[in-house]
Amino acid sequence: MSKISLRQLLGKNKELNSFLLQLAKELGIEVWIEDMGENVVMGTPTGSSLFSYPITSNEENVGWVKGDKKGELIAGLLSQLVRKEAEKKSLGSEVLNLYQEINVIFNFSEKLSQTIEADGIAQITLDQAMHSIPSDSGIMVLWDNEKGQLQVPATSGKVLFDPERIRDNSSLLLRIGLSGQSEIINDISILKEKGIVRENVESLMYAAMKVKHRIMGAIILAATNTEQFAAAHLKLLVTLALQSSGAIESARLFESNIREVKEREEAILKIHEATKKFVPNEFIRSLGKEAITDVRLGDQVEKVVTVLFTDIRDFTSISERMTPEENFHFVSSFNARLGPIIRSHNGFINQYLGDSIMAIFPNSADDALSAAVRMQKEVHEFNRERTAAGLEPIKAGIGMHTGSLIMGITGDNFRMDAATISDTVNTASRLESLTKHYIADILLSDASLLQIDKSRVHLRYLGLVQLKGKQEPIHVYECFSGNHSSDIAGKEKTLSLFNEAIGHYLTSDFENSVRAFELVTELNPGDHTAKFFLSSATKYLSKGVPENWNGAIEMLIK
Amino acid sequence: MDKKILIVDDEAHIRMLIGQTLEELEDEGVEFLTADNGASALELIQTEKPHLVFLDVMMPRMNGMDVCQKVKKELAIEDVYIILLTAKGQELDRQRGQEVGADVYMTKPFDPEVLLSKAKQVLQLD
Repeated sequence: MSKISLRQLLGKNKELNSFLLQLAKELGIEVWIEDMGENVVMGTPTGSSLFSYPITSNEENVGWVKGDKKGELIAGLLSQLVRKEAEKKSLGSEVLNLYQEINVIFNFSEKLSQTIEADGIAQITLDQAMHSIPSDSGIMVLWDNEKGQLQVPATSGKVLFDPERIRDNSSLLLRIGLSGQSEIINDISILKEKGIVRENVESLMYAAMKVKHRIMGAIILAATNTEQFAAAHLKLLVTLALQSSGAIESARLFESNIREVKEREEAILKIHEATKKFVPNEFIRSLGKEAITDVRLGDQVEKVVTVLFTDIRDFTSISERMTPEENFHFVSSFNARLGPIIRSHNGFINQYLGDSIMAIFPNSADDALSAAVRMQKEVHEFNRERTAAGLEPIKAGIGMHTGSLIMGITGDNFRMDAATISDTVNTASRLESLTKHYIADILLSDASLLQIDKSRVHLRYLGLVQLKGKQEPIHVYECFSGNHSSDIAGKEKTLSLFNEAIGHYLTSDFENSVRAFELVTELNPGDHTAKFFLSSATKYLSKGVPENWNGAIEMLIK
Repeated sequence: MDKKILIVDDEAHIRMLIGQTLEELEDEGVEFLTADNGASALELIQTEKPHLVFLDVMMPRMNGMDVCQKVKKELAIEDVYIILLTAKGQELDRQRGQEVGADVYMTKPFDPEVLLSKAKQVLQLD
């Protein structure tokens, strides 16, 4: 009950004041009213305090009515009024407390909605508890299922708890808190023994945090004085625990979801990266797709590209002399050397076919030729190592052609593959196999030649060739920039003579052709291509040419 | 001169709560006046000249904004500190509150501690 000031009661209420005075007058009573400090609060003292009647409220004396015997009635009336006023004040005080609680809960809800991070929520909750409840220290403990122990995501106030001891004594604390009841604990000797709380802590207040009847943790406040915590404080703490439980659980679920999603994304990325190594990214991009998962049966695109084939000469006889493992090793190391060269010249490897590589250069034949020259140099390097290791050197032939190509996805819904279908591929492949007939390292067609910067490479025109099954012959050129330096020098020296010889050959002037080729072979005995043309020209000289001969070397085998 | 506080709200419990919160000021000689509608409030302000007025916005017939406007802008009564009270979620009124010349803006439910310290500050009783 709050203290009632008689002065306030009578002073505030002017109506009551005048009514009493009037009542007293009508009843013929002459009284005055004093408070406990002998101050007159109403009326005028007339001398005799013989008659003195107490004004009481709940056995407490708050004042006196003095002066007249009948004053007792006034005293009784005033006592009633004082008591009513005291009740009103008391009620008002309780309502104000409740209002304060409502305010706290409101504000707390607002704060909770501003963060979705579990640790942040824990700290906000604890800070609010410490702010609204007189306490010296506070912690929140949460059960960590993965680690099988209690975690302490937030602390506040003085250091009166030991988080490490809490973790170590998880099972003991679980037993204490497992009932799920929130309460004020005064007997905490066991906790002090275990070093969980400091010696100077006198009592603890604990509110369980629950989600669907499962206890997930608790908020614990500590006080260094006894009787510091009251029932109203516990009620507030329970409310805060209730509000934060749901929020923290949601935050945790959200966080673990995010983790899971990240892990899956990483896994998918890895798969993507891996597939790129099996189906070239450039192929997929050319189809206008971003990833292999977007590719559909029937997707196709037509492009003008340069196709390049490379093959190891006499591979069959070489491989016969090796074990399967040695074979695999050999081809693998060969491919490993050439792959990077192709890529660094803006090309991509479309397929590995045994000892042969098919590469596509989408931009220009110039890229392809530069790559081809570099590759031949790499083969020389490869051979140096082989000879040093006592192994025989190898020879590789390279053929290229520029034309349109269809890249597409073929097969059926259960087995698809990237396919390149066109004449361009066939032509390139056949040019490559021609290298063993002409004894040339790199052969290219006139279609490819159109895109090449001739000033940067060594080229020789080798006339026409009729590929099997084709209507028209194509022009063939040899690039000898990738040969050994002695070979390059020799061919350069005899270049104009060679061109002359080829010219005679194509116009069926075999006499002059033979003469010129003989001279070339004399000057450059290592020029096997010249020897090839020499024997052909010699044959036609003696036997004559067939009817409708167009000057082309005929490829009788594919 | 004795300080006067006027509490204007159509809800009895708010009038009671504000009074309860500021109870201790009674010992310092502060006089409390109340009104439950805008028209009476206006009259009381003109006759009693309270130093501090708690004015609820949402009231029937004449709302707090209009009272404030009248007092601060039209009648330009000086030395009256007006605190507007409004429900949470109606914070857009803040702008309007500034326009009508309110001194402070508080939301309900209010923080009793904040209310008390503000009152003390305004009446220079801190």
